[in-house]
Amino acid sequence: MITCGIDIGSVTAKGVIMDENNLLATTIQFTGYNAGTAGETVLQKLLGQAGLKREQIVALIATGYGRNSVDFADKTLSEIICHGAGAHFAIPTARTVIDIGGQDSKVILLSDAGQVLNFVMNDKCAAGTGRFLEVMARALETDLDGFGQLSLKGSTPAAISSTCTVFAESEVISLVAKGESRENIIAGIHRSIAARTVAMANRVGLIPDIVMTGGVSRNIGVIQALEKLLNLPVTVPENAQLTGAIGAALLAQRAPNVA
Amino acid sequence: MNPTEIIEQFRIAVRDPFGTARTIREGQNRPVVGYTCTYFPEEIVLAAGAHPFRLFGKSTVMLKTDAHIQAYGCSLARAVFEDALSGELDFLDVMAFPHSCDTMQRLSDIWRLNIKNTVHLDLLFPVHLKSEAAQDYMEAVLERFRKGMEQVFQVDISKDAMQNAISLMNRIRASLTALYKLRAAHSASISGSDLSHVVQGAMILDRLEVADKLEALVSALKGTHTPTRTAPAKRVLLSGSVCLHPDIHTIIEEQGGAVAWDDLCTGSRYFDVQVPEDLPPIPAIAKRFLNRAICPAKHGGTTRRGGDLLKLISTHRIDGVIFLFLKFCDPHGFDYPDLKTALETAGIPTLFLEVETGKPVDGPTRTRVETFLQILNQREAAL
Amino acid sequence: MKKHKTSGKPAYYMESVPKMKKIMRNYYLKAKYARYLGKKVAWITSGGPVEPLIAMGIIPVYPENHGAMIGVSHTGVELCEVAEGMGYSGDLCSYARADIGASETGGGPIGGLPKPDMLICCNNICGTVLKWYEIQARKFQVPLFILDTPFVHTEFTKEAKTYVDRQVKDYIRFLETAMKKKFPYDKMNVVGKRSVEAMRLWQQVLNTATAKPAPFTAFDAFFHLALIVTLRGTKTVLRYYRFLLDELNQRVEKGIGMVENEQYRFLWDNLPIWHRMRWLSRAFAARNAALVADTYTSAWCGTVDNIDENDFLGSMGEAYTRIYLNIGVDQMAEKVLNMIDKYDVDGLVMHSNRSCKPYSFGQYDIQRIVQRERGLPVLILESDMVDARKFSEGQVETRIDAFMEMVGQK
Repeated sequence: MITCGIDIGSVTAKGVIMDENNLLATTIQFTGYNAGTAGETVLQKLLGQAGLKREQIVALIATGYGRNSVDFADKTLSEIICHGAGAHFAIPTARTVIDIGGQDSKVILLSDAGQVLNFVMNDKCAAGTGRFLEVMARALETDLDGFGQLSLKGSTPAAISSTCTVFAESEVISLVAKGESRENIIAGIHRSIAARTVAMANRVGLIPDIVMTGGVSRNIGVIQALEKLLNLPVTVPENAQLTGAIGAALLAQRAPNVA
Repeated sequence: MNPTEIIEQFRIAVRDPFGTARTIREGQNRPVVGYTCTYFPEEIVLAAGAHPFRLFGKSTVMLKTDAHIQAYGCSLARAVFEDALSGELDFLDVMAFPHSCDTMQRLSDIWRLNIKNTVHLDLLFPVHLKSEAAQDYMEAVLERFRKGMEQVFQVDISKDAMQNAISLMNRIRASLTALYKLRAAHSASISGSDLSHVVQGAMILDRLEVADKLEALVSALKGTHTPTRTAPAKRVLLSGSVCLHPDIHTIIEEQGGAVAWDDLCTGSRYFDVQVPEDLPPIPAIAKRFLNRAICPAKHGGTTRRGGDLLKLISTHRIDGVIFLFLKFCDPHGFDYPDLKTALETAGIPTLFLEVETGKPVDGPTRTRVETFLQILNQREAAL
Repeated sequence: MKKHKTSGKPAYYMESVPKMKKIMRNYYLKAKYARYLGKKVAWITSGGPVEPLIAMGIIPVYPENHGAMIGVSHTGVELCEVAEGMGYSGDLCSYARADIGASETGGGPIGGLPKPDMLICCNNICGTVLKWYEIQARKFQVPLFILDTPFVHTEFTKEAKTYVDRQVKDYIRFLETAMKKKFPYDKMNVVGKRSVEAMRLWQQVLNTATAKPAPFTAFDAFFHLALIVTLRGTKTVLRYYRFLLDELNQRVEKGIGMVENEQYRFLWDNLPIWHRMRWLSRAFAARNAALVADTYTSAWCGTVDNIDENDFLGSMGEAYTRIYLNIGVDQMAEKVLNMIDKYDVDGLVMHSNRSCKPYSFGQYDIQRIVQRERGLPVLILESDMVDARKFSEGQVETRIDAFMEMVGQK
């Protein structure tokens, strides 16, 4: 059965077409200001890539913060349910999914069958982690990939305690003014994000294996900081950014008569 | 009148509460007494010939409040005060502050210092409702308020007037209870958003009108046929302080669920328990305040709220509880972890939502509610 | 400005400090090992009526004082995070969060408080303590006594007086039941008198800062405060404050100021920022400014005139109801104005404390009243008493600089 999952995030729009467990097509692009248009473009790209016609897609589920703008979807599901399904597909032993995106951070608890048991999302005052990292990377004159690498060289992470990203930004600026090394500052940023995430995870209770998805999972510095605080390994699936879209496509298979 | 027309009148009152109050004040030549909390003896105000008017905070942009209350004050207190500072509440003859939380207590002071055209009254209710001393003290506070009303409006409040007011409020409470029960039995008979507007409107509109309209609504709805659903809706209980976000109901209903009952001060806490009509009025009102569903800003024993919540869950066959709090609400915030644990131990899934008055339900909040309902639906599928 | 030096010791050195540390260490040791000493432990709020506990031989323990120690020792954030992991919102009082965290993990500077045998909660300081003590009553499964003190917006009503007086009697009965023994009224008389004397001594201690230069600052008062909060009614407190008062009077006589070049004098409002005490005191001292007095530490003697020392139990209900935080904003402003005059200050520094709503809401109005009535500049610092995550050093420093510029212009 051929299904499609489209995940419209705050920064990027992702899509996959799947035939049972096989990925036929995948795409990632910027969302832009019109989530509906982004969804349409994603679908066209996917169809072109897979050489399929729209009618051949049996079911299409939209997810992500822009899910309700995808008016051609058969059904919408929240990104939490989809990330859960996607993470379980990629790593069947996953019980806890940490998803840090541009705007929201989530911790999702799964049953061993991959069902979402519980979840928690960040407090409003701690929103925008992904964005914060982007801004900080720019302020510290590096890019996101360099950011992760640099932090590994930080010997003593600088103390950054604010949960509010605006406050945290001013803390970073003070550290720069004091002449703290870039590596230590970046390591400090990562540790503070990890600490915040662990505090959130404690609210649902944490069960291994732990899987991380979302845009920030590309940052090795955050992952290592998390592993250190949790004292547990954190796995990142191969197509981490596509996890939500894959979950949507899989859930579309389970309920083909969704419309 | 058909149900839709009646409900529409409550919706209009909620949309334009101040216009509604002005009409009552000018049209019926009755003074208006504003208040902020459901521990408020509306009966005494009615017996004095005045109109009790609950403030929910209409302002969405805080231009003037910021100069008086820090941003970490709850949005309800801040919005209510913004209304006052911007002159929207100039129709109030009296502003009454029943003691509730730390924030409202300070708001009363700040209000008294800055809003000069209304009579200011504090009702210093006991916080500890279980002590023996509290009963007498509660009565004394009510008696002081009764005298205050007499003095402000230059009237004698007769025992008859008190008793009539009590009967009137009991009629309203009985009808609201009946409406809630109707909805708990057939969630399709009235939407959650409609019912939420009805309860709020009941604290705004003329109470006699409210009593009549509610009785008409109950009998009209009893006659309607409930369309059968393919699957029984997931029954959700909302627990928190105020719910001024009817969208929450809509999101729940879109996912095939329904709010079957609530523990809100814009909901069942307003009408829970009647004032006994066979007691002298003041002790009777005091008795209701001591016995009704408790607000977390008061003390009724250390396990009272958890026990009450579990009772509501079993009575109304609740599948999941959504805690709906205003950001910066301390009393609810402190109760939450132990309540959550108690419910989860009993196998009831919970969701924590933090909202602010005057701000629409945002994307992340919608995602939380949808996911929660999707989890409840999955549970069903897995069984 | 004159500089004073005595016997090689720096100006900030005070003999009292190590003495105080020793007393507090002994007190906490005794509390921690109460069980082995055959003593009962009561947790009590900072504004709570401790005297009957002292009379009964119960060891009082103060989660709020513990909260302050957690703040000073920089363990606040980790303990708050424990509570947040349990579901307590980061917007709730950080004393409560830190205490809940510490009683969960046994963390913090003294490895957690000794388990309580009973809880005594007086809501004259806030509604938060009521919720906090409910949580601890559920956790420890011990009896909770609540002294419910109606708020005094404008007047202390006669029914409120009856209400609190009745509760004082309930309190005694509660203690008799908990301890299974008669309440020692004779002992209570002695304890009551000592308590009143301690409050008077504490007031005299604070009064010494009217001298110029001030022999000690609010930062020191925050430290020496611990005894009047925890152990008033005992002989230890009297002995200590007499010693402290002597030392301060000597400093005044010799003209020794805590801030070496005291040029500006300020009044502090609200709880301290415990995790930034040293940083803040240095920041002000470096600008030749001394925080000579504060509204917080004087709260423990502000109501002494309401107490009849010959009838402590009969008058304590009213005294505990009329404390600084349980009165209207206008009465608070009145007290602030009095302190401004008494200590002859050049400005007011207000800590807008996210953890303490009853202390912080109303500050903006007090600020306006102070500016209108005395024309003094007011600095507002946004922070939190324990939660270091709510402190932004750069922001605070900029504000202090701007404030000093305003003060200097006058």
